[in-house]
Amino acid sequence: MGQTPVLDQFLASLQELVDKRDGAKVQDFLQLEPPLSDIYQRMVGELRQQYAPGPNTDAELLQRCEPLVPRSKGGSWTAFPTFVKLYLIFLRDMNTDNLLETYNQLKALLNQSVLALGDSQMGVVVLPTVLYLSKVLAKLAMGLDRRPDLIAHIRRMEGLAAQDESIEKVTLVEKSANVVREAFIKCLTDRTGTPGPTGKPEGKRIGIYLMANLCLKLLFQCGKLRNAEQMFASISAQSPPLAYFPASQRVTYLYYLGRYLFGNNLFFPARIALQAAYDQCHRQAINQRRLILSYLIPCNIILGRFPSQALLQRPEAQGLAEHFQPLCRLIVRGDYLAFRQHLFFGSPTAQWFARKGILFTLRNRCEILVWRSFARKVFMYGGSYGGLQAQAQKGPPPVLNLKKLVVAVRWLQTKHAPSGNGPANTMAASNLYGSQVVSEPTDLDYDRLEGADGTVSPATDQEILGKYGDFLAPDGFYTEEGRPQPNLPGQLVDGDPEENYDDYELNPYAYDLDDRTEADISMMQEIESIFASLITQGLMGGYLLHREPRFAVPGAKIKGILPTGFPNVWQTISARESNDPSVPGWVQPRAPSVVGAAGGGRVVNLAGARPVGVQ
Amino acid sequence: MSNPTTQKADATEQPRPQNPQVLEEDDEFEDFPVEDWPQEEAEQTNGSTANDGSEHLWEESWDDDDAAEDFSKQLQ
Repeated sequence: MGQTPVLDQFLASLQELVDKRDGAKVQDFLQLEPPLSDIYQRMVGELRQQYAPGPNTDAELLQRCEPLVPRSKGGSWTAFPTFVKLYLIFLRDMNTDNLLETYNQLKALLNQSVLALGDSQMGVVVLPTVLYLSKVLAKLAMGLDRRPDLIAHIRRMEGLAAQDESIEKVTLVEKSANVVREAFIKCLTDRTGTPGPTGKPEGKRIGIYLMANLCLKLLFQCGKLRNAEQMFASISAQSPPLAYFPASQRVTYLYYLGRYLFGNNLFFPARIALQAAYDQCHRQAINQRRLILSYLIPCNIILGRFPSQALLQRPEAQGLAEHFQPLCRLIVRGDYLAFRQHLFFGSPTAQWFARKGILFTLRNRCEILVWRSFARKVFMYGGSYGGLQAQAQKGPPPVLNLKKLVVAVRWLQTKHAPSGNGPANTMAASNLYGSQVVSEPTDLDYDRLEGADGTVSPATDQEILGKYGDFLAPDGFYTEEGRPQPNLPGQLVDGDPEENYDDYELNPYAYDLDDRTEADISMMQEIESIFASLITQGLMGGYLLHREPRFAVPGAKIKGILPTGFPNVWQTISARESNDPSVPGWVQPRAPSVVGAAGGGRVVNLAGARPVGVQ
Repeated sequence: MSNPTTQKADATEQPRPQNPQVLEEDDEFEDFPVEDWPQEEAEQTNGSTANDGSEHLWEESWDDDDAAEDFSKQLQ
């Protein structure tokens, strides 16, 4: 040959590295991100000249790559020469003007490298390469995700934009995540050495968390968190303990795991994972620590713990106080309307939370804490304690008449009455229908309801047809023989409607909201429900009396009335949750004493056991 | 083949103290510039204060026991 001196040298050196199983150097050799150094440019020149795209080029190039695989292995590692061939073609054809094509070629290249990774003997040699390619692909996919304009013209040209309507869009980021997940599985299922949760990170298993973290990053980016579930399950079942891996991988993994658990409303384990990520994160890695904190703090707030001044004054917490402190103050204040307005979707105060993806979680999970504070305040000022003396003797327990709550809620509602320029003025208006506490815009189905009885019935045939047309004159129906029969538009299948349709009207409310008393009864029922929920969750201690609704706090002599009626939130939740300290997805080293014991999940062979009582 | 571009040069650098101004809002969890570090480097150094990890980070008791006049007036 002699016409491709650089390529010759490249392949010869690569073969040497493969022989030595030097994965890191192999990766170092397979450069592909522009700008390429001079020597690579020269190789690209040779490729374009000697192996220009043509019918036989592929086969010729593959022939050049085949000697790369050690002959002693009988050439069984065929995936590798094919991979190097694809790599060379990628270099030859790389066109940064068409990033979509570049993306597709790169994905194919990564796919092939993952196939090469699958080899039980040699696969580990390409592990660093697979990681490198995964990172480059992830970077490109995420870049294009942020700047779709870069490839919009190409998509248009290829008619891709038109397909987007009906089928669920699989973004480039998600596609990349799927390829990276394949690499992750190859790493996780490596059988060399001691595999499984008692094993060490050796062979391809050293790549488990590198691949998992990259895959998680992509899944978070494309909002397909659900797809991570299987990954965490496989890790729980098959991975060596996380503690055996380097700090950077541990912290990154615990961050994503914590966010995943948070997203699944598993706040207690999420807190453990995020706190561990924070504790193990390098103290100078401010950005990462800050990101961990932005999820660790809301997680703790939901569990009833607020960030301290000391924490909020740390450098990595800069800017977090302005978001979380007002929220904490609102929880303490117990003004549920102010709380809702603060986290009203679209309000400026909610924006940051929405962008972090924690708005709805905070709104849904913290409101119960707001109600607890509210109830506590009303109890403080409106409860009857029976006097200190009554406490000492055998008197009735301290009680709170829930009528006081109705008064307090009405008062809050007046305080927040729409001023006309508030951001969420619908929220404080008292309702004519439905909830007296939750004031949401009326459901579309019910917004026609008018008048005190809350129903409007259609008066004329025309109205009846307009409302029930899909039933009375459907597009098709089944005959008595059960055959489908199309129907002419507007044709009444069963003749003229004669019935009184009042009975079919939507009226979801069983009571008559004629006057204030009815509304107050309705509100009382809601307040009883909220109190019952607080008691069930252990956030309030006591019981409810339904006739003349009251909340009673018995047995308050030892701890005092307020600590008994309104126990500490964090202590209540952590006492309940810490029975199970394990975090799903986090593999812990097994304590040596436990290994021998017949623990959960272990099969105990009883073949040699004797029946009870037999000596 | 000579050494190609230095891809991994930054892997050996120490993490740099970063400018607080550039903190604002990158939601991506960045790669760490170093692979591994001992636990001591993860712990806060608080200058003169003792670094025993017992710094008070979370408030567990936050109930408001102060008199809220507007409230009590309403509930008489």
